[in-house]
Amino acid sequence: MHQPDDELEQELRRLAARAEPVPAELVQAAEDAFAWRDIDAEIAELVYDSLLDAEEASLVRGPAEQRMISFTAGGMTIDVEVTGAGPGRSVMGQITPPQRATVEIRHRQDTVTVEADELGRFRSGTLPPGPASLRLRPPPGAPGPPIVTDWISL
Amino acid sequence: MAVDRDDTGQLVRGAAGGDEIAWRGLVARFSGLVWAIARAHRLAGADAADVFQTTWLRLAEHIGRIERPERVGAWLATAARRECLGHLRTAGRVLPTDDMDRLDIASAVGNPTEEAVLAAEQEREDADLAAVLWRAFGRLPGRCRELLRVLMASPPPSYAEVAAALGLPLGGIGPTRARCLQRLRDEMAGIRDGVTPSL
Repeated sequence: MHQPDDELEQELRRLAARAEPVPAELVQAAEDAFAWRDIDAEIAELVYDSLLDAEEASLVRGPAEQRMISFTAGGMTIDVEVTGAGPGRSVMGQITPPQRATVEIRHRQDTVTVEADELGRFRSGTLPPGPASLRLRPPPGAPGPPIVTDWISL
Repeated sequence: MAVDRDDTGQLVRGAAGGDEIAWRGLVARFSGLVWAIARAHRLAGADAADVFQTTWLRLAEHIGRIERPERVGAWLATAARRECLGHLRTAGRVLPTDDMDRLDIASAVGNPTEEAVLAAEQEREDADLAAVLWRAFGRLPGRCRELLRVLMASPPPSYAEVAAALGLPLGGIGPTRARCLQRLRDEMAGIRDGVTPSL
């Protein structure tokens, strides 16, 4: 350890804490995130996001391109296509194997509920940008726990 | 380290069991790190807020399944880095690094919060140091600013967390830190001597 280095780093830390502290409303939001836990649900993990996992070359296309995201839980796959930019996004999804489900799209301001048809297809209306997660409930009478996807940023 | 690893592991286990106080403990311990990672990637405003919130929501969902509870900081850092890269790659948000550098320097000078901070610092003996330090920081190469900005998190992050935050090998953090801090000293000396024109 070099003492002068530690002192200089501490000086920088003090400056950063004053000049650009963590906004208080974000600390509050992080505390509130705990309330979103759904301990009964199975998690559908994010396994593919074209934004990060697509070939570099395909990322330099125009702004209108769609983003493809896949989640898996057990034997189920949820493929989602996100379109739109600026203040409005929309989501189109496919559950595989195809099945009916109630899909709750949870986002910062609200929860939007849509139904997946017998082919496992669903689509949202306009959603605001920001954190979002899907929660799938099997139709009444069908077995199995609800499934929640990893949170993504729309 | 302000909180030792055992304590961090305890907080994770507590939160996994539904203890909201433990969760708040994690937020207090690691908010600064997640925020610093967003800033190190030069995200601000709504983008930085999205990264920050998505990262914490993701942890809340996974809190019962963290394999190494004592390393939750590195887990958060990895998640935050991934979110940052996603935001940077979103069409229309990608700027050449040179433009980013210029924006950063401009914002360091024009940001009223920072001006207010610096004005308050004037009354202190070390006012000069703060002003020179901030200006010198803005002149560092991008990689040095990224590394130091993460290290500047409060409370101080571990090297493992810094490595996860920037996708760097753990063994490189110490040497790079030393080199960047030396570069910072050189820039400060240059500013004090008036060798480099002031902004």
